[in-house]
Amino acid sequence: MAGIELKNISKVYGGSVVAVDDISLEIKDGEFMIFLGPSGCGKSTTLRMIGGLESISKGDLLIGGKRMNDVDPADRDIAIVFQNYALYPHMTVAGNLGFGLKLRGVDRGEIERRIKAISSMMGIEALLERKPAQLSGGQRQRVALGRALVREPQAFLLDEPLSNLDAKLRAAMRTELIKLHHKVGTTIIHVTHDQIEAMTMGQRICIMKDGHIIQVGAPLDVYRNPANTFVAGFLASPPMNLVTGRLEGNGGGDLHALAGAARLPIPEAFRAGYAGHSGAAVTVGLRPEDFHLAPLAGRSVPVAVRTVAVELLGPEVILVAELGGAGGPEIQARMPRDFLARPGAELTLHYDLTQIHLFDGQSGTALARPQIA
Amino acid sequence: MRPGWRNIIPHIVLSVFSLAILLPLIWVVRVSLTDKLTAYKIPPEIGHVGIENYIEIFSTYPFERWFFNSLIVALVSTAIALPLATAMAYAFARFNTGGAFLRLGVLASQMLPPIILVLPLFTLFFSTGLMQTRMGLILAHLTISLPFLAWMLVSFFEGDSASLEEAARIDGATRWQAFIKIAVPVAAPGILAAGLLGFILSWNEFLFALVLSGADSQTLPIGLASMETHAGVEIAPLAAATVVSLLPVFALLPFLRKYLIKGLSLGALK
Ligand SMILES: Nc1ncnc2c1ncn2[C@@H]1O[C@H](COP(=O)(O)OP(=O)(O)OP(=O)(O)O)[C@@H](O)[C@H]1O
Ligand SMILES: [Mg+2]
Repeated sequence: MAGIELKNISKVYGGSVVAVDDISLEIKDGEFMIFLGPSGCGKSTTLRMIGGLESISKGDLLIGGKRMNDVDPADRDIAIVFQNYALYPHMTVAGNLGFGLKLRGVDRGEIERRIKAISSMMGIEALLERKPAQLSGGQRQRVALGRALVREPQAFLLDEPLSNLDAKLRAAMRTELIKLHHKVGTTIIHVTHDQIEAMTMGQRICIMKDGHIIQVGAPLDVYRNPANTFVAGFLASPPMNLVTGRLEGNGGGDLHALAGAARLPIPEAFRAGYAGHSGAAVTVGLRPEDFHLAPLAGRSVPVAVRTVAVELLGPEVILVAELGGAGGPEIQARMPRDFLARPGAELTLHYDLTQIHLFDGQSGTALARPQIA
Repeated sequence: MRPGWRNIIPHIVLSVFSLAILLPLIWVVRVSLTDKLTAYKIPPEIGHVGIENYIEIFSTYPFERWFFNSLIVALVSTAIALPLATAMAYAFARFNTGGAFLRLGVLASQMLPPIILVLPLFTLFFSTGLMQTRMGLILAHLTISLPFLAWMLVSFFEGDSASLEEAARIDGATRWQAFIKIAVPVAAPGILAAGLLGFILSWNEFLFALVLSGADSQTLPIGLASMETHAGVEIAPLAAATVVSLLPVFALLPFLRKYLIKGLSLGALK
């Protein structure tokens, strides 16, 4: 097992397409790291550079402390589970599992023993003699994972391995992967588009955009303290409401954020950090889950909203409403499952002020304040 | 599908086309089984039926030599062309060797009328002693089959094949192992189809064989054309010879169809 370190790594395709731009990241030995980001932000390219399938244009790649830039993929001892599985179609499942071991000269008996162990772990013992064409999508995915696992590599790179599965199987495989990580403790980088996977699977998330790393941190930390409006609007579903507004103070103790017609007093604890931005244009971030139907003792403020629509999801209701009344900016709020409101109805919700986020109106960077734990 | 009236018109059209293709073949088969007199009768009559013509082509003409020459030339030229074309196609697909220019160049060589190549080859073979040899003809046939097969095989190494090779390289394979153990087996149906096609191309080739072969190296198409006696063309033995020379092609066609239709990488992805 080994840690992976990216030092100022860039990837330029064909001299002009910058797919990855000067990223630095240290993935510790045994860590479960999530790569999250919109399509085309460079996640796969980064994985492919780590795996050795793509040359590194600039920077250094260290695996287990050794520089690996020019090492052949075969010698990096890393396993990749490709988004499209890439099973060898002309080999049986057993052949697929054993291929890497055979190439490495592992002896027959040992190969058989390991294939047996992995296939029972993945629940594919009954499929060993089948060809990939005779498997269902979920079975293929388990074979692809098994093929990576059987080699006991230094690290696993998983490129959206669950994206082709139905919701139920995906949930099952999610737990399976987490358990697996507990068991083998190998370094894992897991690329995903899925909010739940991002929040629940990894020890840290690395959020990327346009070839840059925007924020790295424990899932809950990133959720609670997004570094900028991009992260705020990307993580969680529905994401944080972002409303353009202004920070206003009278020089005395009073400081409040204006978002549409809503006026949100800044809690005591945040004032010191925000005071310097008094009078500035800001983006106010309000999480859908921090709107409440009843006031919270001493830390909420009533906000008037006008109902636009309600989405009944079952376990909860998403209220789409205009903040501050008709014509105000549209927000989403998470309501209990028995919530009902007719479109057009005026309501008063209560926003939890300890969960208010302010971002620079121009750059979108979060304004400094004490971290929410 | 229910045989409804909607199907009648397509069936009539298809039947006409099928007959256009089949009738000459049926006629050849019939003529090959009659005697020399009945063969010329119009309107055709059934008359005598027998296999004398088949016996005659082997006794009167050096038919088995033609057949053997054709077989050797087609087999050897295909055996040479196939690995070379596979390597070319792989280089085109994976490394984009020579870019679009070389790919087009390879195709363009097939657009020239073959007669343009015949004269230079003639002089070349004449001075190198390859004239009238089977080896010469084999080389000449390579000028047809190599570009054609390479062109045909490129698509079998594009797409899925590349990502399967990447998986193999991650699994610990060298470039060569990934090519031999993954890319080639995955492209196998295409390679087999290309091989069959190469064989058929060489088997049927006429112009090069006419100019470049001699009495000892004559192939079937030239042999058939030379089946002329003082009494003109003996149509009945010629028909028998045609039938025999068509047999290998008909034997290969079902395989060609099967391999071409078979998916390249069933179940590899997603
Ligand atoms: N071979 C290539 N040549 C040129 N540009 C490329 C190549 N491969 C990827 N790119 C570009 O690099 C950028 C990053 O691509 P990458 O595949 O890493 O994105 P991604 O984050 O994995 O996206 P997705 O979530 O859609 O898989 C994209 O803008 C893409 O167009
Ligand atoms: Mg990708």
